[in-house]
Amino acid sequence: MLIWTSLLAPLAAAVAIAFAPKYAAKWIALVGTLASAAVTIVLALEFPDWISGKFWPSEPGPIWMEELGISLSVGYDSVSLLLALLTVFLMPLCILGSFSAINERVREYYGYFMLLHASMLLAFAAKDAILFYVGYEFTLVPMLLLIAIWGGAERRPAAIKFFLYTFFASLFMLAAILYVAWERRVEFGAWSFDIDLLISFSSSRLPQSIQFWVFAALIAGFAVKIPLFPVHTWLPLAHDQAPTAGSVILAGTLLKLGTYGAYRLAIPLVPAGGVELINVCAVLCIIAILYAALICWVQHDAKKLVAYSSVSHLGVCMLGLFALNPIGAEGAVFMMISHGLSTGAIFLCIGMVYERYHTKDMDLLGGLSRRMPVWSFFMVFFTLASLGLPGLNGFVGEFLCLMGTFIAEHDAPTGYMGVLGPGYAVVAALGLIFAAMYLLIMLGKLVWGPLREPPHGHGGHSDGRSALPTDLNLREIITLAPIAIVCLWMGLQPKPILEAVSPSVERVLADYPALVERMYADHSQPVVVAPAVVAPAETQP
Amino acid sequence: MIASLAYVVTPAIDAPELRWAGLLLLLPATAVLLAGGCAMARVRSKLAGWTTVLLLLASFIITLMLYGQVQHPVTVELFDWIDFTWGDGSKFHGFSANFSLYVDSLTLFWMLFVTGLGTLIALYATEYMEVDVGQGYTRFFAGVSIFLLAMSILVMAGNLLMLYLGWEGVGLASYLLIGYYYTRPSAVAAAKKAFIVNRIGDLGLALALFLIWDNYGTLDFDGLFQALAHQPTTWPDWDVAAIPYLIMLGAFGKSAQIPLYIWLPDAMEGPTPVSALIHAATMVTAGVYLIARTMPLFALHEMALPTVAWVGGSTALLGATIAVAQYDIKRIFAYSTISQLGYMFLGLGVGTSFGACYHVFTHAFFKALLFLTAGAVMHGFAGQLDLRKLSGIRRIPGFGLISWTMLVGCLWLSAFPYTAAFFSKDEILAQCFIGHGPGFEFLGWMGLATALLTAYYTFRVWFRVCAGPVHFEPGTEDHQADAHSDQHEIVHTAHGHSPVAGATSHAFHPHGPRWAMSSVLLILAIGAVGAGIPGYMALSGKPNWVSQMVAHSSAVDAAGVTQSHDHPTLIGFDVHTGLTIVGSCAAIGGILLAWYLHLHRRKSADALRLALMSHPITRWVTIAAENKWYVDEVYHAIFRLPLWAGAHILAFGDHHFLDGVLVDGLAKLPAAAGRVFRPLYGGVMQGYSISMLGGIGLILAWFVWVWTSRG
Repeated sequence: MLIWTSLLAPLAAAVAIAFAPKYAAKWIALVGTLASAAVTIVLALEFPDWISGKFWPSEPGPIWMEELGISLSVGYDSVSLLLALLTVFLMPLCILGSFSAINERVREYYGYFMLLHASMLLAFAAKDAILFYVGYEFTLVPMLLLIAIWGGAERRPAAIKFFLYTFFASLFMLAAILYVAWERRVEFGAWSFDIDLLISFSSSRLPQSIQFWVFAALIAGFAVKIPLFPVHTWLPLAHDQAPTAGSVILAGTLLKLGTYGAYRLAIPLVPAGGVELINVCAVLCIIAILYAALICWVQHDAKKLVAYSSVSHLGVCMLGLFALNPIGAEGAVFMMISHGLSTGAIFLCIGMVYERYHTKDMDLLGGLSRRMPVWSFFMVFFTLASLGLPGLNGFVGEFLCLMGTFIAEHDAPTGYMGVLGPGYAVVAALGLIFAAMYLLIMLGKLVWGPLREPPHGHGGHSDGRSALPTDLNLREIITLAPIAIVCLWMGLQPKPILEAVSPSVERVLADYPALVERMYADHSQPVVVAPAVVAPAETQP
Repeated sequence: MIASLAYVVTPAIDAPELRWAGLLLLLPATAVLLAGGCAMARVRSKLAGWTTVLLLLASFIITLMLYGQVQHPVTVELFDWIDFTWGDGSKFHGFSANFSLYVDSLTLFWMLFVTGLGTLIALYATEYMEVDVGQGYTRFFAGVSIFLLAMSILVMAGNLLMLYLGWEGVGLASYLLIGYYYTRPSAVAAAKKAFIVNRIGDLGLALALFLIWDNYGTLDFDGLFQALAHQPTTWPDWDVAAIPYLIMLGAFGKSAQIPLYIWLPDAMEGPTPVSALIHAATMVTAGVYLIARTMPLFALHEMALPTVAWVGGSTALLGATIAVAQYDIKRIFAYSTISQLGYMFLGLGVGTSFGACYHVFTHAFFKALLFLTAGAVMHGFAGQLDLRKLSGIRRIPGFGLISWTMLVGCLWLSAFPYTAAFFSKDEILAQCFIGHGPGFEFLGWMGLATALLTAYYTFRVWFRVCAGPVHFEPGTEDHQADAHSDQHEIVHTAHGHSPVAGATSHAFHPHGPRWAMSSVLLILAIGAVGAGIPGYMALSGKPNWVSQMVAHSSAVDAAGVTQSHDHPTLIGFDVHTGLTIVGSCAAIGGILLAWYLHLHRRKSADALRLALMSHPITRWVTIAAENKWYVDEVYHAIFRLPLWAGAHILAFGDHHFLDGVLVDGLAKLPAAAGRVFRPLYGGVMQGYSISMLGGIGLILAWFVWVWTSRG
């Protein structure tokens, strides 16, 4: 029930905003997101399965469409709960960060944010594949509007590309889900879209050639969202044009829907297919890491730079997942969270400068530490977190991902054989150097160096609306400080998160060691899936 | 060649009662927080400086107390960091790297001079940085505190991942402090370069960590040493043999060795106390520490240590050849740091970790001293560091102490007979002739040649700057400071010295150091003298403090492995005696040469340069040496330029091809398809009938296809 409350609170806020006066909209939105956050935190405190890896609540929810077996089942395991916590943590800060930036169509703006909030939580909480799809896809609508209405100069094409690209790709994912559910119906005579039931069916019953295509379709769908090379081109454009808070949510949590989808659906649903395709996926990840990093290096626009850096970082994250061992997968999950925090915070920082100078072109802006020391502190802090400085959050995930990749060999002593290995890790680790190069260039231009300001001077006053001080005001500090604290805490005390994630990771990867072993044993033969392994739950529809 | 691979390192004892040693991390962390608090409260006084000095002093005292407590290697668990398990949680079914300390005598040895010199240099900086009070003063001390925190973590770390944390942490501190004068583009560029070049080394270290875990299932030093002790005595596969080389790469990055030394000279953009503390005395020795600490791993491949020796020896020579041709005092000292670090690696490589660590120790004192005197000169002469524009400053009131302490530093750096560095260098070079390895004897002669060059370029500075007739041109900056600063500009006009003030302009009054700077210089000079004591004892064959410290740690001399039993000789004498003679000749010869060229007949130096420039070959050599052998330019052409061009091509391709042609092109397909069929739907009946027929035809075709494929 708590989960539904956390979902409905922002929806209720959205309704209230529709009828409220204009000036109250932001406060209602803040209250709505805070309420949702409070409920989710209560949920996390009550959550009994932090170290068991199970879903809670475990019982299925009410039936939505009886004849199709679609139910409104929601429940968290440790990973999805952590991502939900990330969402409810970032959302109020985004609202707070928009207070002075948004002055037009205010009620709509905050209303869409409430919808976005609810749909993201729904996607993370869903235990039913269709429900997941609904939440996953519904995020597109408010995001489309946020970009198209409050975006930059090229907002329309950016919004359309964002929507069509990701919408089109998720159809592959939907097709794969429908196909698996249909196969299951053929086998058992009744529909069900319960993710766990689908997993236990497809991972053991589907022949490998089918699993191959299902995995390919799922990854194709998620790859666009993550985004992986070569289907990333919508992201820089969308980030570039989105309003600040939109970018924060886009980088912070929307992209995590893709990585989470891969973790929750693609990897466990069709392991035999995964084993065959992991190599290709890993190569794409590595290309993404290096390719995006190099492109970052020559960007002039700060937001585009950070957008490409997301592609690079999430390449590391997915590579860790594809390592198919607990170290890599733990790193991947940790990185999903930490990337959301540090990149989201960098977008907030850039947004704060944009509000003042109306530009994010690094050729026009520079040496801002002279004008804005407090802002500079946060900017440097989050950039360091992003480039993986040990002691901050980014390092833990990155290190574990690369280490997982490194030891993902056929003779790995971990009990989890992998299909990657040192070669993959060494090439991917070059990304560490590139990350330092492009992030320090950004710092060198924006924060350090002689002061450069656009000709119209310290902005904010030209349009007569926002009267922001030179440096950050208290509201902006309150927006950034919590993220900084969590970044530091995650960097120094990652153990609670890692321990909570561990059982979930083991569950997700459960089928892989045997499959990889068999693949090595006889690489030419297709993997024969043992039909004997049928979970007892399969007997009931 | 080596029969036994097993290095026996005493197993560590878990010592929860020593948890207070964690204070060594807590105190600098508190200093960071206090400096942060000062920044937040916008304190416009020297408060942050004094809190830092006091906390670092406390840290030094704690180190001394710990020194009295630790006889065996001990481990101290502080708190959990990265720690999780899977499966049954046995070995290889869990990853754990926690905040724990591994304290043995090597740790303490390093901590003593890190915290000791840290305190002294922070004290010096309270006065040196005072022009920046209210501006960057607090930021400076926050950076110094971050550095001391990270360095303590690095040295005290109980496992390799925590060491890595400190390793990158000192890199961060170095980045922040090199870029302290952030309005100068050169400082920003130097900071970036330092961080990125260090990252290349860090990458090697990270990969080494992966391999170590993959092979031994632990990153804890103690667990690792015990696992290595039980290693079979056959040469291992590549994945084990690669470990020492990867670690080496990390060490070469941090300690500015070939091929990653290029960041250190540029790092002199930072304030001088930073150059003294981080880029001369402590941080750059982290690489030596790393190799000394993981010495047992270097037995995993027979060429690992000789590689270290060769890289060290070559770097020593290269650094010295560049230093000879530089004119900026700080740059000369920077290259001499590279060169001296090369000696340390040479020592490690030829098998005397005692010599290497002893040289680290003596070098820390005299090099910090030299940098601080250079800083005092710079402080007094408005940023002037060109040795052609300063002369005879020891006769200027207030600069006597600076000159004489600088003389101490110079004598020590040039390894003048019976100074501390003479002993430590002797220890290293002697081992080159004693130890048996590929080309070690050649390395020994190379080291001696380097010693000659060292003495020459060191005294070139002293004879030029401190001796001779009084003559100086003040620099263009007030205390090398932020030229942008409004306040500073006012100061400039108030002093009224014009930037182009010729010889001894009357408006400019060089000011000497006050008590904080003077006393630190004095203490360091005394310390440099005292640092020779273990050397006297080592020469007479007695066990001494330093060798005791090193021998009871993981850096136990590799000498035992490679030492031969015959009695090697040098120029007909016993090696040590021979070296005393040859080494003294080199040092004194270099000094005499410098005296002749740079004090006795300064014109002859210019004449020599002209003579060199007149012949095409020597001309090329001179110019190349003055331009640091163009290594930066070569790296730029080989690495950065192709990457830069590639990045532009990729960015262009990403925007115009991948997004423009492929994605947008695909997106245009439906519209294009629509356009093809549009004439059919123009409202004309025939069009609709054609499309209907087409549709029916397609459906029929599908039926036929299904029917035939079934059959």
